[in-house]
Amino acid sequence: MNRGFWLALLIALATVALVVAGTLWPNISATGTADAQAKLLGAATSPTGAVNNLLQQIARHNWSSAYATLANKSEFSESDFTRDLTGNYGSLRTYAALDGYDVHPLRASSDEAEIRATLHWASVVGTFDDLRDLHVVRSGDRWQVQWPVVKETRVPPQVIPVNYLRWDVIYRGAEDDWGAQDVEAPHVRIVAMHPVDRAGQVVIMGEILNEDVVPAFVTVKATLLGSNGNAIASEDSFDKISHILLPKQVSPFRIDFRDVRLSQIDSVRMQPFSTLVPASADPVIGIESQTLHPVPDSSLTGQLVNQSGQIVNVAHVIGTFYDHSGQIIWVADEYPSRALLPETPVPFEISVPADVSSKVGSYRVIASTFSSSRFQ
Amino acid sequence: MTIRSKLSSLLVVPALAVLLLSSTSQTAVHVEPMDSVGPRPIEAQTRSSIIRDYLAAWQCLNQATLQNRPDLLDPYFVGQARQTLGETIQAQQNLAIRTTYQDTSHNIRVVFYSPEGLSIELLDDIEYDVDVHAGQQALGSSHVQTRYIAVLTPTESRWKIRVFQGGVS
Amino acid sequence: MRFRTPFLFALALLAYSVSAQSPQLHFPQRVEAGAAFSIPTSGSGAATLYIVGPGGALRRKIQLGTSLAFGADDLPNAGHYTAVLVGGSSTQSGQFDVVPSKPGRLSFLAKPSRLPVNRATGISGVVYLFDRFGNLALDPQPVSFDLSDGSGRTQSRTQASRNGVAWVRMDSAVKAGPATFQASVANVREKRIVQQVPGDPCSIRMTARASDQKVVLETDPIRDCSGNAVPDGTIVSFTETYQGSQSTVDVPIKRDVARTELPAHNGAVISVASGIVMGNEIRWNGGL
Repeated sequence: MNRGFWLALLIALATVALVVAGTLWPNISATGTADAQAKLLGAATSPTGAVNNLLQQIARHNWSSAYATLANKSEFSESDFTRDLTGNYGSLRTYAALDGYDVHPLRASSDEAEIRATLHWASVVGTFDDLRDLHVVRSGDRWQVQWPVVKETRVPPQVIPVNYLRWDVIYRGAEDDWGAQDVEAPHVRIVAMHPVDRAGQVVIMGEILNEDVVPAFVTVKATLLGSNGNAIASEDSFDKISHILLPKQVSPFRIDFRDVRLSQIDSVRMQPFSTLVPASADPVIGIESQTLHPVPDSSLTGQLVNQSGQIVNVAHVIGTFYDHSGQIIWVADEYPSRALLPETPVPFEISVPADVSSKVGSYRVIASTFSSSRFQ
Repeated sequence: MTIRSKLSSLLVVPALAVLLLSSTSQTAVHVEPMDSVGPRPIEAQTRSSIIRDYLAAWQCLNQATLQNRPDLLDPYFVGQARQTLGETIQAQQNLAIRTTYQDTSHNIRVVFYSPEGLSIELLDDIEYDVDVHAGQQALGSSHVQTRYIAVLTPTESRWKIRVFQGGVS
Repeated sequence: MRFRTPFLFALALLAYSVSAQSPQLHFPQRVEAGAAFSIPTSGSGAATLYIVGPGGALRRKIQLGTSLAFGADDLPNAGHYTAVLVGGSSTQSGQFDVVPSKPGRLSFLAKPSRLPVNRATGISGVVYLFDRFGNLALDPQPVSFDLSDGSGRTQSRTQASRNGVAWVRMDSAVKAGPATFQASVANVREKRIVQQVPGDPCSIRMTARASDQKVVLETDPIRDCSGNAVPDGTIVSFTETYQGSQSTVDVPIKRDVARTELPAHNGAVISVASGIVMGNEIRWNGGL
């Protein structure tokens, strides 16, 4: 027998040994959650232990197992529980994964306890948090969680006519026929611009108006120029802007430059970009009960109401904050995690820095929407 | 036009001429002032970029006809000019000949800048040497003095020649 | 003396042979594109003629002493050409120009394709004249520009082309709608459509009425300052401010008006705007 045979045998034996060891003594990283404090499933002999077990089941998408451990499962069905966590109608929750959680006991007695759990969900547009105050009760020798289910509104089956305007575009062909008729890009204009120094970076905020009669896909790019005319940095608005602007619609924008100070800059070159795209005037989103909360909460809350018949899978809310003289002092955004069903309010909350919150004189909120059949 | 832009234009064009005179190809370039070009006033950045791109196009033409590679025309020629030059190179390939166009002097005058900024026309009193080769054999050469008319249109990164015509009286 | 006579004889013989065999080119200075022409040659023997230029490359094998004919399609591209005649042990070169023929095609750039009404010199038209081979036609030509709008009004201008280009500026009409912009020279025409769209809303006026626990807001038909209806789909923003909170909704105009419902709050101030144009304000007192 040659050396190759012995090497192959050695590798096979090592593989078997490692598989057995991994099965008998699994690593913490196999729990399926990024929480550094996550433990393996064990007996729920304490309120915190019961909450940990439940949240780990949720992280692994073991909905049946998680539901089975609840103390109040007679109040709602397993599908209600699942929909509460995964959302419905293709919302952000549907495609989010539990990235980790924090558990903070609020109070405890011999038979019950209150635990605050903050679930950190990772989605395609960033993370969002889900705060639940869990009531945990002792049942015999173990503890069980009473889950505060949020039941999603079910829209009854119906036909809702949609007759809002829609634009379609017929483009010129690819042939280079100089002087041939073509449709030109929508006319957009930056109507406000304000650069500020903030936390070691330069932030450029402003507003852009579609002054044309056709819908526009817009983005804004800014280039910082030094005193010698050379470009220091160039960035664009990314998602701190509402990209689809209908005629006469205004969107804020915010462009962040890291590791640059305003004192280094001599001038800023703003480049708005617009292109013709098909679009629809539907859905119409009402933004109701907007309230600015001062410190320590320092946020702008409100409700989105889908006034149309089409379900909105993902909504993007952008807030523009002005000081008492009307100058823009901050732009912030948020993606509500739930779908917007017709005539069903969905809350949103936009965080505002504490130092900005005290200077706000007025604000304006817009919403852009994504439906699985189209993006707007 | 503001005083600042007038001053900058007075400085830019002669500076450009000096810079081009000192280039390694030793091509003499003179550019007429562009202050009175209309109907659209020419921006300072455009003044330098059209001259730069036009002269680069001549270098590009020389290489393309020397190597019989029409793809070398793409950076600086577009539309009808690109098509005509490409057909010329194809004809040279069929005839197994190569030509060089070594420009020795330019006297450039911009005569038109369209109102919407989408085309610029210039006249160029140019001198260049033409050499014709078949393989390694030189067939003939000629020194040319003629006037070219060129129409340039802007693309994503530079001005490209769309109309390129010599023998203008 | 011994060698001078044979040397002189050889020199004479050489001079005779050179003069008898050197090819001669007699190119015309200018040839019109698409025109057939012929050139005489002198000398004797076979030779090869190369014609090169950015506009094309040709080769002809010719018999010196005969005329060389060029067909109408041989040199269609205008430009400056160099001709090289290679015959025997000598070459000769010459130069000539191919000039454009009369205009047969226009490149017409009409900008913008869409603009608000009532804009003085808002529309520009630029025409480049080409012959049927795509050469820039440089002889001055009168170019007619006509802009006709939906009301039947026509603006006409005629400009002489210079260096193959002519241009004009026109005003957009008062009435919205498509306008036909035509450029023509001789019997060659090109048309473009320019959309003249309504301008910003001139004034926005809304009314409010109660409906259950909501307030229904509706604007009057929204027009620009020339009386044109602002197009459907234009966004109108309604804002309701009350007790430190506010509600907003962006509504598209439908059939000339914008309409929406907001929660009713007594004492709320309701405002309306579109783009940068503000409308009236209403203080809501429960519909009283």
